[in-house]
Formats: sequence, C-alpha cells, structure tokens
Amino acid sequence: MRPLRVALRRLAGVFTKHRADPDLTEELQAHLEMETAEHVRRGLAPDEARRQALLASGGLTQAAEAVRDQRGLPWIESAVADMRYAIRALRRSPAFTTVVVLTLALGIGANTAIFSVVHGVLLKPLPHEGGDRLVYLRHSMDGPGGASLAFSVPEVRDFRTGAPALAGIAEYSSWTVTLQRDQGAERVPVGLVTGNYFDVMGLSPVRGRLTRPSDDGAGVPPVMVLTYGGWLKRFGGDAAIVGKQLRVDGQSVTVIGVLQPAPFFPDRPEALLNMVISEHHTSSYMVEGRTHRMTEVVARLAPAATLALARAEVAAVATRIQAEFKDAYDPGSHHRIAVIPFREVLGERARLTVWLLMGAAAFVLIIAAANVANLTLMRGVRREQELAVRAALGAGVARLRRLLLVENLALAFLGALLGVVLAVFGVQLLTSLVERYSPRANEIRLDAVVLTFTVVLATTVALLLSFLASLPREGGLAPWILAGAHRLTGGWSKQRLQRGLVVVQIAVSVVLLAGAGLLTRTMIRLSEVRTGLRTEEVLAIDVPLLTPQEILFNPGADASAKERYDRMRDEIRALPGVVDVGIGYPIPLRSSEVRFDVKVDGKPLGVGEAMPRAEFRLANPEYFHAAGMTLVSGRPFATTDRRGGGRVVIINQTLADRLFPDQDPLGNRIAWTGDVLRFTPISPEWRTIVGVVANTQDGGLDAKPTAVVFHPYAQELALSGTLVIRADSGVAHLTAAATRVVRRIAPTAPIDEILTIAQIKDQSVSPRRLNAALIASFGMLAVLIAAVGIAGVLGFAVSARTPEIGIRMSLGADRGRVQRMVLAEGGLLLGIGLAVGVAGAFFAARVIRGLLFGVEPHDPTTFVGVGVLMAVIGIVACWIPALRASRIDPAITMRSL
Amino acid sequence: MTAKLDVQQGTLALMILRTLDVLGPLHGYGVARRIEETSKNRLTLNYGTLYPALVKLEQEGVVTAEWRQSENNRRAKYYALTGAGRKQLARETRDWQRTAELIAAFLAPRRGEEAP
Repeated sequence: MRPLRVALRRLAGVFTKHRADPDLTEELQAHLEMETAEHVRRGLAPDEARRQALLASGGLTQAAEAVRDQRGLPWIESAVADMRYAIRALRRSPAFTTVVVLTLALGIGANTAIFSVVHGVLLKPLPHEGGDRLVYLRHSMDGPGGASLAFSVPEVRDFRTGAPALAGIAEYSSWTVTLQRDQGAERVPVGLVTGNYFDVMGLSPVRGRLTRPSDDGAGVPPVMVLTYGGWLKRFGGDAAIVGKQLRVDGQSVTVIGVLQPAPFFPDRPEALLNMVISEHHTSSYMVEGRTHRMTEVVARLAPAATLALARAEVAAVATRIQAEFKDAYDPGSHHRIAVIPFREVLGERARLTVWLLMGAAAFVLIIAAANVANLTLMRGVRREQELAVRAALGAGVARLRRLLLVENLALAFLGALLGVVLAVFGVQLLTSLVERYSPRANEIRLDAVVLTFTVVLATTVALLLSFLASLPREGGLAPWILAGAHRLTGGWSKQRLQRGLVVVQIAVSVVLLAGAGLLTRTMIRLSEVRTGLRTEEVLAIDVPLLTPQEILFNPGADASAKERYDRMRDEIRALPGVVDVGIGYPIPLRSSEVRFDVKVDGKPLGVGEAMPRAEFRLANPEYFHAAGMTLVSGRPFATTDRRGGGRVVIINQTLADRLFPDQDPLGNRIAWTGDVLRFTPISPEWRTIVGVVANTQDGGLDAKPTAVVFHPYAQELALSGTLVIRADSGVAHLTAAATRVVRRIAPTAPIDEILTIAQIKDQSVSPRRLNAALIASFGMLAVLIAAVGIAGVLGFAVSARTPEIGIRMSLGADRGRVQRMVLAEGGLLLGIGLAVGVAGAFFAARVIRGLLFGVEPHDPTTFVGVGVLMAVIGIVACWIPALRASRIDPAITMRSL
Repeated sequence: MTAKLDVQQGTLALMILRTLDVLGPLHGYGVARRIEETSKNRLTLNYGTLYPALVKLEQEGVVTAEWRQSENNRRAKYYALTGAGRKQLARETRDWQRTAELIAAFLAPRRGEEAP
C-alpha cells in the first residue's frame, strides 16, 4: 500500500506544489535563521554566522528543487511543461493548427467510423456462446436459384448420422405468419425451428424460456420465442408479453420467451416457433420428401473436430446420397455442399463493400497524414532557428525530439477527438448502408476496441510526424546551433521527403478517383438498364389474403380469395385517374421464390444437359398492360383462360431462347417437372405456350434475367396477390384511396407493401448508390487535400528559393522562364504521381471487379477521365506558386540578401 | 579531525525517526542538530538531503507536520511520529541491529590477526 500512497501523493504534488512553495521557503528560511542564531550565540559575528549557516545549508534553491522533485514526479512535470509549451506554440500559429487538426479529424474520423463497421460486422466474435464453433451448410447447384438451395429433412438426417464432426445440427425454416392484433393483421417473417436450435446456436433468453426438444413433433402446443428485434419492433419491448397468447395463422400461440440480440442468416426473423404451427412442416411431405428443401442448417462442431474434418465428412455423405438417390440430384446441375464458418457467412455480402470503404478511408488518412507531414516539415524548417536557440540554452536532442512528439501528440489527439465526433455521425450513416448487407449492422458501435484503434492510429501518426523532422544525432548539436542562428535551411535536397509525400498523395488520389469513377459509371450503367416494365405511374400493392396453411391444405379458400381480389380490382379500376389494374404474383421487379424444373413436350433433355429451371409467376389478363410489359409475340391472357379451360402459359424471352433457340415457341407445350412438385399445389400437366413477353429485371438491375413462366391467375392457386395499378398521373396520390378499398374488402388481411415500381427499382440500387457516393466523396476529399499539398510544397519551395530566383531574374531570366521553372518542378511530381497512381488503380480495380456492372475494371474512359481531372487540378495547384515566383521583385530580393 | 561521512538514504530515515521518538515533535533544524551532535559531527546534513527525506516520510505517512511557535517564539514546522512511524521505527531498529550483529560477526578479526 505504501508505494501506492506515495505515488498518489506525488501525483497530487504535481498539481499542488506551487501552492505549497511559500511554506517550503518559510521552513528553509526558519532553519537558516535558527542556525545563524546558534552561531551568534556561540560568539560569531552576525555576518559570519549567516555565512557559515548558508555554507552548511548546501544552497537554498537546490534544496527547494530537491524537495520539489521529491514532492512531485519530475518526468510528469516536464511532460506537463512540454504540453503547456506545445499548446502555447500551437496557439501562436492558429492557421497551421486548424488546418492540421481538421485534416487529421477527417482522416481519423473516417477510419474510426469505418473500422467500427469492419469490427462490428466482420471481426467481432459472435454473440453466440462458442460462436466460432458454428458452421453454416450451403447446398448449391448450377442454374438460376441454385446459389442457395437449402436442405430437406431427410438430407439433414443423413448428416446427423453420417457426420459425427457436427455435434448438433439446428434446423431453421423461413416462414411467414399472419399475426392478428387489435390494430389489424400483420405479416411477420418468422423461422420454424427444431427444439435443439437454441442449444446448438448457443443462444440464451433475456426473458422467459426458449424452445427445447420437447417442443418438437405434431401433438404439442405451438409456442413462440420473439427475437430481440421483433420484440422491440412489434411489442415495444413489453416485458409482460411473455406468457401471453397471440393469434397466429388462426391458432392460439403462447409467447414463451424473448431471445438475446443475435444475427440470423439468410433472413431476419422476428420470431421463432416450433414446427407444429405449420401443418406442412410436420406433414410427411416435409419430413420424408428428399427434394423438399426448406431447411437452413447451422451446426456446431464437435469438441475435438476441425473444420477440415467436418468438410470431409459432409462431402462423403453428399457423395453417398447422390449415388443412392439419383432422382433427387440431377447430375447436370452439379449439386455441392459447402461448410462455412457461421461468422464468415454472416459477413459474406458485406465483406467486399466494407473492406473497400476501409481501404478508401485508409487512403484518405495516408493523404491527410502526408499533408500534415509536409506542413510540419515546412513549419519545422521555419522553426529551426527557434530549436537551435533552445539547443543553445541546453536542451538535448532527446528533449527537442520529445518536445516535437508532445506537440504532434497534441495535434493528433485533438484531431482524433474531433474525428470521433465526426465518426458518431458517420456510424449512423454507415449503419443504414450496411444494414442492407449484413445482419450484424446493429452490432456496430464506437466501443472500447474501436476507440483503442483510434488512439493507436493517432499515436502512430504523431510518432511518424515526430521522426520525420530532421534533428541532428545526439552530440551533433553544436554545428547546428552555429548554422541555425543565421541561416534558414530549405534547400532542394532537404525537400526530397516532402516531394516524395506529394507523389504519394497524387498517386493515392488517382487510385481513389479511379475507384469512384468506376463505381459512378456502374451507377450510370445501372440507371440505363431497361427494367422491362413501366416505372412511372405504376403502383404495386401486395395483399396476401391466404396463409401458406390455407394455400396448401384448404383448396376452397382459393375461390373466395380470388373473388375478393377481383372486387378490389374492379373498385380500384373505378377510381379517378386509374388506367388499368392487373393482378399478379409476386411483386413486379422482384424475383419469385417459386422455381421448378421445366420440360418441353417432344424435346427430351440432351445427355449431361442441365435441367432448365424457371420462375413461377401469375398474371391476370390486364397485368401486362398495367405493368407496361411488352408482348413480343402471341397474345396476352384472356378471360376465357379460366379454370376448366385449356391450360395456357406465357413465357419470357429468356426461357424462349433457352427452350426454343431456333423455333417459334407459340403452340408448343411445356410442363413443370421434378420430384419436388409432389409437395406443391402446382400440377405437372402440359400447358400450351400462347405468348412470349420481354424480359424484366426481377433479380435486380445488374442480374441476368431469369427464365419465367406466367400462368393465368384464374387457373392456378392464388399464392398471393399483388395489385398493379397504372394511372395517368400522380399515382402516389392513389395510395390512400386504393388502401381504403383493400381494407374495406379484406379488413383482416395484412398489406405487405405499397410501392411504386420506381421505388422498387430504386431499392434495388440504393445501397450501390450510397456506396458509390461514399467512395466518390472520399475521392474528392483526397484530391482536395492533395491539391492543397502540391500548392503548399511548391509554395514553400518558392519562398525558400526566393533569393535564388531573385538572382536568376536580375541575371536576365524573365517571368515566363521562372514560371516554367516552377511549373516543371510541379509537373514532374504530378507526372510521377499520375503514373504510380494509374498503375495502382489498375490493381485496385481488379480487386473491386465484383462491385462493377457494365464497366470493365480497366475502363479506358474512366482512367483517361481521372487522369485528366487529376492533371488539371494538379496544374492549377502548381500555377499558384508559379505565379508567386514570377512576381518576385529582384530588386527587393537582392537588397534583403 | 575525523572524516565526514555521507548519509545513506535508508539510514537517514531511521535516524530521523529515532530522533523524533526520543525528543518528541521537532523542527527540521532541531532534527539536523540532533543528528549531527549524536554523530559527533561526523555527519553534516545539508537542506537538500534533510528536507526531501522529511517530505518522503510525510508522504509515507510515518510522520506528520504542523506549524507551531518554537521555544524562541518563531514560527517553525514541527514533525512528529505517527503510530505507523513508531511501528516502522521498531521494525527497522530490530532489522538494523540484526544486520549490524551479522556484519560485526562477519568482519570479526581472525585469530592471530591484528585488530584493524
């Protein structure tokens, strides 16, 4: 305890010793006088007595100093003194300080904000207990919709028995339920899970309990666990919700608990229920159907198992079942199963974008730090006199170095402080961007790890800046003192470092600009993509009238649903301004989740040829006109295409090209095929092609159009219904009136979405746009800082060379020649920087290839544009100091030499 | 004349504590005089040695200081032992005596050797 006590008192002494000083003086004085008095008493003359006393004291000042050192902490005191000095020095040059602090604040702020995203979304350990042992199994194959197939229950059983490296396998099935509440019906995305789910995932409840294996099977009561997000969103975090009964899909369900905050994949459920809520999930279709793939699988590695072992075992199982069940695995489609750490799969979609932003931010910081370094170097040269004086007064090299360090630390931390304030706002913006890509966006925080990163960043910058300044080696101060007293050093040779930094700035700016250019061109290309639909004045209202339960098990419900859809169509059609109303499934410009294999009558599949697949969509006769889709050939659906009539379909151009490359598709017959059809209400009958429509960009503007088969909405089950309303103007104003119609006809039905087609289109590109805008603003920022950097360094060179230029001019050099001289200096730096930057940009473009659309990574237009832009800005930046150089008056200069 | 000795830090603290124990509360001058007298003037204490030592003892909480009128009506800062100080003194005295005995035994003249 004692050393601590001493340390605390000494620390307190650092701040209080000045107050105690009169005390000390008085004490020492008292000592001196008592001793003098004693000497006098022994018979010395007063003067001699005092002299003797002083002699014995060893010096009052030295004693006071020694006491002060004992009282406080000498090194802290000199640091405090350095700090005071640094702050004073910075206050004396407010312009320098402001520029440096702002520059660093931008650089450090951007990096802090984006690092918080990298950390929250990609690096941070999962909130799941033992989350690094969780793996996600991905089943994929070639062809549309083949990227993520999910698993069937029999397949999961195969892994349970065949892959002991997976200690527990949790099953999760995406589902949507309708929640009846006092304020109306709500569609809620949920997950149906097995009882072992939470145990395998390592998740705990924050309220109540979670489901367990006893909740599995058919004869149990349905229960619901709210996810943390769902609890907040639907019930405002009401703690009393646990134990309550909710009306879900017409059944009474007990809320048993609230789950801790946790990310999900691939979708974001608001609640998790046991399987019993869905008759389908406990039916033999689901439990026995090998091709009925509706289950996502996350597994926990067994304690001793490695990822490699799990992969090997899973691959062995896959090989065995593919050999055993040939019908379930079309060899031409290449089924494969990947075992991926769960954390990786959660960050999968965000990874490239987030690292791209991190890279861009790092570049901005490099440019900013280079600029600050240049400013510091220039200021350092101007300060050589001052430092020389300080050296002459006895400050050692170490002390001078420390002084610079303290000053740079002060600058860097002021910058960091302001940067963190900027980051607070940046994080909000970034979170809304990353939300589209990552289920972990709500884990983004400016937490201790991120702030540590910021502190390390600021300290690194300060250290680099301090060691850039040229101080002589220890012991080499003497010549420097002599020289520094009367000479400002600023010759060309000394500027090599500064010029190097300018080249770096230009190069990095070019890389950033090229990235911004490519992403902007991507945006332009995307906006030029034709959706295949009319985007103006078209409104879509998605109203699912039937629950999945009713669609699958209650055929009678379909007729009444269609009758209500027709009434909605008729009434909305009568609203003023409405041109046409179509009914279809699903929402236009969005992919249909329902996809099956297709076969053609009389055209068997070639050997090894992959099974063609297509999306299942519904349309009524008015749909194509209302949505503004182009009929390439044939006819639209007619009112005569009804149940009981001849089965007809309309296919899109992609499917027509795929199935009938050199033949007119009209009149041919196609049918859905595959084992999986058994589990659906969709029949495998032959259907005659009566029309071909142009492609629409349902998978996103950057996706290849997929094959689509439209069915007459009257001939199939109404899986859901989307009203497509086309108006002659102001379609957005129709929203309220159309909603009233829907509410009146179907008061208990949830309205999933009301959007204009333009909004749907915009949604599919807005993350990209924000991304491009961020990179572009980083790019502009970089160029701005770099331009200031070039102008600053050249300007400084000019002022350092004023005498030389003066002499040149008095010897006959004209203004143009001086200007050219300075411009050539700048042009050389610009040229090297551009060359290095273009080379770097070629490399960087290859890295971001995955984010580009319609633009080659080495797009010449972008590269030339960026080069020209950078050159123009660079030349302007050189021109200012060049003009200044040419205005130097030789007469004045010569006199001041 | 005997050679003057420099005081070692640790021993000075012990001397100060012992002085305060024997004489009661005392000012810096008094402590210095007493130590010099006890050492028969073989030790001299300059202020730069004495006062930092006093401050250190104060920081350690083994002495306290307070301003008082001195015997000849002068204001002076008086140092006094605390309870902790008394304990430390007892402990250090014991340690020193043991060390001194040990060293004495160690440096005792060998048989047949002249005493130094």
